[in-house]
Amino acid sequence: MWLWYSWQSAAVVNEDGDVLDIEINDARFSVHAAKERLQLVASGQMPPEAIILAERFPEAKPIAHGSDELPEFDVPQPTAIQIEVADEAALLLAKEGVAISAADPDRRLEHLLRASEELRTLHLTMEARLIEWVGLFLPSARFETNRTQVAGKLRDVTSLSEFASLIDVDDAYEQPSDSEWKALHDWAVMVSNQGRQLDRLEHAIRLSAQSHLPSTSTLVGPLLAARLCVEAHGRSRLARLPSGTVQVLGAEKAFFSHLRSGTAPPKHGHIFMHPWISRSPRWVRGKIARMLASKISIAARIDEFEGTPMSQDDVDQVEARVEAIRKEFSKPPRR
Amino acid sequence: MAKNRRIRPLSDSVLLEGRNIWTVNANPGVAVRGESLRKFRGVEHRRWDPNRSKLGAGLLRTRNDPSNLLPQPGSTVLYLGAGHGTTISHLHDHLCGRSNQHRGRLVAVDLAPRCLRDLTHLADGRPGLVPVLGDARKFDAWGVLIPSRVDWLFQDVAQAGQVEIFLSAVRRFLSKDGIGLLSLKAASERHQDGGDADIFAGAIAKLSDEVELVEHINLTGFEDQHALFVIRRR
Repeated sequence: MWLWYSWQSAAVVNEDGDVLDIEINDARFSVHAAKERLQLVASGQMPPEAIILAERFPEAKPIAHGSDELPEFDVPQPTAIQIEVADEAALLLAKEGVAISAADPDRRLEHLLRASEELRTLHLTMEARLIEWVGLFLPSARFETNRTQVAGKLRDVTSLSEFASLIDVDDAYEQPSDSEWKALHDWAVMVSNQGRQLDRLEHAIRLSAQSHLPSTSTLVGPLLAARLCVEAHGRSRLARLPSGTVQVLGAEKAFFSHLRSGTAPPKHGHIFMHPWISRSPRWVRGKIARMLASKISIAARIDEFEGTPMSQDDVDQVEARVEAIRKEFSKPPRR
Repeated sequence: MAKNRRIRPLSDSVLLEGRNIWTVNANPGVAVRGESLRKFRGVEHRRWDPNRSKLGAGLLRTRNDPSNLLPQPGSTVLYLGAGHGTTISHLHDHLCGRSNQHRGRLVAVDLAPRCLRDLTHLADGRPGLVPVLGDARKFDAWGVLIPSRVDWLFQDVAQAGQVEIFLSAVRRFLSKDGIGLLSLKAASERHQDGGDADIFAGAIAKLSDEVELVEHINLTGFEDQHALFVIRRR
């Protein structure tokens, strides 16, 4: 015996599809009331009509309309007006759901991270152009060691000659025209602003990662934690990935080339940017990557299932393992 | 040249003009995805791009009467995997018309909030379109919006187990003799040794077990690795 219910009606049905009892609310619902009832049903709860029937038939199994289990029976139909109101309510619910989706930290983190990636690419391109541009006019200037300061210094001067004397090089033989200098100066201001903007973006990523992925952030740093989370398409998926996948996240090209044509498999993806791996000798990187990936998996699971966050002690233990691996394999393997 | 093209109506609001499909714009003046608008006998039509809509591609590719692929105007239909609403908008033109003059209901379910954002905007100018944010597999959450069985059901979800999802939706929501359309994306299913052909063959076997398979429409050229299956419920 089943207790079938919809958002405004309920019925008790037996195995043969006979309706034993029925409660129908044919009231004119307001859109708001209909919305509340639709939400109730969607969350797995029963409307008042079904609760009345549940008291009369405690042995009937409650089941929402749309479930597979029910036998065929004459389903009580809502009135035309009720359908209209329910449709309006459904639209409101959809709008609400869309608005609420902004609460998802995975989505927010993704925008932050991708924004910082895009800005960094743009910044490096524009900075390179700026240095080439200035270098054209000031051939004696050398920017190899202080590339990042060029934009900041340029923004604070009013002419190229002033810049030349500021960095102590010969003034330009061939001066840019007024309009040319203005364009160059604008370019420098933009590059210099991008630098600050990048800092702000990364600060936001750090804060967001530390609250969304506290353990992973403690273990490998918030920026790497954020990147892994985004590349895995969300924290819950990162927590469910096997650590072998976490190890090569971001090395998809090498990985699938390995599967397809048998090239050497990648040893590390994004986790390579962690100094434990990138600052280790080549021949232990794979071993450390494998160990670290397993620890990241544990950390991500702690984050996802809200366990006690990893402490600095835990991180120290992992670092001790890294040291142990480096020590054990201190010599390159013989070929 | 255009004058000589044969114009053939598929319904009151869908025209087949050579290889182009046009639907009467239910929201005049507005192009949903930048498609061309054009007047036929003083009525504004929107071009239904078969490269962006698998149902549109199916209408051009079917060997049977294409109007059989469309639902009855004014009926209630269920669309699983609504996406950003390109197909939905044309379906709405056909099913509901301007200010929902045909009194149709198009219940469109999708899981992604990003898609629903576009759908809710679409729904604001198109009464009769009911967007639902929900999992196409979890009927309990939104099934109450389909109080009686529908005569037409479309599914286009890109996730593993598409045929199983489709069959359970058919069992639950499609009436006897109702038409169901399944757009199957081979790349979403587990890779098989025989490739896409094997995946499609497997789908045909599973479908034929339970329902009458009316047609298997290959969409290659419009949408690679996709096929459209037309079924009738026994």
